[in-house]
Amino acid sequence: MKHQLIDTQIHIATGGRSFSNDGEALVLLHGSGQNHLTWVLQSRYFAYRGYQVLAPDFPGHGLSGGTPLESIEDMADWVIALLDSLDVKTARLVGHSQGCLVAIDATARYPERVSRLGLIAGALAIPVNDQLLTMSDEALGKAISVMTSWGHGPMGHMHDNTQPGHSFLGYGKRLMTSNHADALRNDLKACNNYSGGKASAAKIVQPALCILAGSDRMTPIKFGMAMADSLVNSERVIMNGAGHMLPAERPAEVNVALRHFLAS
Amino acid sequence: MSGDYKFDTLSLHAGHVPDERHGSRAVPIHQTTSYVFKNTEHAAALYNQEFGGHLYTRISNPTVAVLEQRVAALEGGVAATATASGMAALSTALLVLCSQGDHIVSSSRMYGANINLLENTLIRFGITTSFIDPSDLAGIEKAIQPNTKLIFGEVIGNPGLDIMDVKAVGEIAAKAGVPLMLDCTFNTPWLLKPFELGANLIIHSLTKWIGGHGVAIGGAVVDGGNFDWGQNDKFPTIAGPHYAMDGINFYEEFGPAAFTAKFRAEGMYNFGPSLSPTNAFHILQGMETLPLRMQRHMDNTTKMLEFLCDHEAVDWVRHPNLADHPGHELAKRMMPRGAGSIIVFGLKGGRDAGRTFIESVELASHLANVGDAKTLVIHPASTTHSHISAEAMIEGGLSDDMIRLSVGLEDFDDIKADFEMGFQAAAKFAKTKD
Ligand SMILES: Cc1ncc(COP(=O)(O)O)c(C=O)c1O
Repeated sequence: MKHQLIDTQIHIATGGRSFSNDGEALVLLHGSGQNHLTWVLQSRYFAYRGYQVLAPDFPGHGLSGGTPLESIEDMADWVIALLDSLDVKTARLVGHSQGCLVAIDATARYPERVSRLGLIAGALAIPVNDQLLTMSDEALGKAISVMTSWGHGPMGHMHDNTQPGHSFLGYGKRLMTSNHADALRNDLKACNNYSGGKASAAKIVQPALCILAGSDRMTPIKFGMAMADSLVNSERVIMNGAGHMLPAERPAEVNVALRHFLAS
Repeated sequence: MSGDYKFDTLSLHAGHVPDERHGSRAVPIHQTTSYVFKNTEHAAALYNQEFGGHLYTRISNPTVAVLEQRVAALEGGVAATATASGMAALSTALLVLCSQGDHIVSSSRMYGANINLLENTLIRFGITTSFIDPSDLAGIEKAIQPNTKLIFGEVIGNPGLDIMDVKAVGEIAAKAGVPLMLDCTFNTPWLLKPFELGANLIIHSLTKWIGGHGVAIGGAVVDGGNFDWGQNDKFPTIAGPHYAMDGINFYEEFGPAAFTAKFRAEGMYNFGPSLSPTNAFHILQGMETLPLRMQRHMDNTTKMLEFLCDHEAVDWVRHPNLADHPGHELAKRMMPRGAGSIIVFGLKGGRDAGRTFIESVELASHLANVGDAKTLVIHPASTTHSHISAEAMIEGGLSDDMIRLSVGLEDFDDIKADFEMGFQAAAKFAKTKD
C-alpha cells in the first residue's frame, strides 16, 4: 500500500491483504540495499494466516520515495513513526541482517511498542570492510554482485530454488539494482557506524527468536550466536548449509519457525 | 566456493542438487501430473503463491524447473519458464503481455512462424504489428505508437541472418517505456547474453542448439527482471490489480519477477503450454554440453565459410562473420565468439542447382530443424518460409535459390566430401545457366 509518512510517500507490502490496525502488527524490516521483496515469501504467507503484515520499503528503497536514512537509530525512529502514523500500538518486529540492528535499537528505546522480536541472519554489530564500502560508492554494480554472491549459500549458487524457475542470484541482483543509487552505500555506512547493539540488547526482555544460517558469509554465525547469547529471553534456530539470504533460501523453514514462535 | 559459478559449470549443474533421500546425481524425471498436498492449508497456499512448490504439472514440475533454473542461470535472468515449444513460448509471452488494441513493433526478418503469428494470427485478436527492418534504428523508433507494448526481433534472423543491434534497440525501447523481447534461439547464451545489453525478455526454442540433439521440442521465456513495469500505465495487468489471487499486483508483490509470476499464473494456468518432464530431461542432457558443442559448431562454421567462399560452384554465401555482410562489424562486436552456425548460400544454377544439391548430399540431412549436432540443409522458400508472401520474402531479404545450412559437429573433412558430391551433382545447372 501507498502511505504518506511525514513528507514522503512510501510503499508498504501487506502480503496482498488490506492492513488493519486492530491487533498487533507484524513488521518485517529488510536489510542493507534490500527492500520489501526480501520478504516476498513471508509477507503473503503471514498475511494469509491472519497476521497484519507491514513490510515497508525504507526511504530510497524499493517503491518508497525519499532518500535513504543515514543511521540505524534514524531507521529505528522511522519504524516507530511509521507505527504511530498507522495507529499501531504494539508490533512484533522481524528483521533481516541490518533489519535486526534496527529492530534491536527500536526495542531497546521503545520497549512498550514491541512485543516480540524475530532476528534473521543478524548480529549485534555489522562491520563492513573498507573495500566493500568503497565499492558501494564507486562501483555499485560490482558491490551488488559481490554481496549477492556472498549472500547466498550453496543452494543459492546451484540455483536450486523452491520457486520453480527462479534464480537466486539473478533475482538478488535485480532487487538491489532497483533501489535508489545511494541506498546501499548509506545502509552499509549505517551498519558500519552502529555501535549500540550490545547495550541495546542488554535492555531487551521481550521474547526473541534468532534464526541463523550455518553458511552465512555476511554475518557469520558466531556473531549471530553472540546476539542470541546477549538477549535474556531468546531461542535460536540454526539452518545448516543456508546462506545469509535465509528468507529466500529457506522460506518454508523460516516461516514455520517464525509462525511457531509468534504463536507461542 | 568463491564467487559465482561460471558458464560451463552452470551448464552442468545449475538448477539441481542431488536430493537427500536418494542422492540421484542425474536430474530425475518427475513423470507425474500432480503432487500430494500435505494438508488443505498447504494446497491453498500453493495456489495463492504464498510459497514455491509444485501443484500440477501444467503449471510447474520439478524436472522442468531444473531446466528453467538452468536457462535462467545461463542467461543471467531472474527466472525462466519452459514451454512445450519455442512457438508456445512466444505466443504465450505475447498473450500475457498484450491485450486487444495493443501494438507490437517487430523485425520483419524472422522465422516464418514468428512472422505468421504476428502478421496473421494475433491480428484476429486485435493485436497489430508494424514490421521494421531490424537494422533501421530510426524506422524502429518511428514505428512506436502510444499503444505499443513491446519491440520484438531475432538477434540473428532466421534465415536471412540479419543482425539486430541489441544495445541500440534496447535504448529505443527503454526510452519508449516498453520492453525489448528477443528470440535468442540462434545465438544461445554462449554467443551472447542480451540482458547485459538491455534486452528485457528472451524467447528460446530449446529444440535447437540448447537441446542440440534433435530429440525434443521445447521452449522457454526468460525474464531479465530489468524492466520497470510500473514506470507508466501501459501494463495494468502486471502493475495493477489482476483477477487472479484476490486482485494481486504482480509488480508490487514479485518485483523483478513480476512478468514471470503473471506468466505462471495466467500463461501456464490458462493457456497450458507445458513442457513434458521427459522432454525437459532430454533437453537438460543436451544443455550439459552446450559450451562444448557451441565451440565445435563455431569451429566447423569457420571452416565451412572458407570452403564455401572459395568454391567455384557457389554463387554467393551469407554469414555475419563474412566481411561483406552488412551486420559484420556489429556482429563481431556483439558476438566475438562468432555469429552462429547457420550459413545461407546460393549455387550457380539457382533454385534447380540448390534442389539437386539438397537431394544429393548424404551426410547432411534434409529436414526442418536447425541447431542439431548433425549437419542439416533445407530450401526455405519451399518449406519453412513457404507461407510467407512473395513480397514479404523480398522484404525479408530471402531469395528463391537460398539454401540454409546448419553446420553440425561431424569431422569437417567428411562434411566437405559430402558437399563436394552435392556440388558435382548440381553442376549441370550451373553450366546451363552460363
Ligand atoms: C528463430 C526461431 N524461433 C523460434 C522457432 C520455433 O521453435 P519451436 O520449433 O521449438 O517451436 C524456431 C524454429 O524453427 C526458430 O528457428
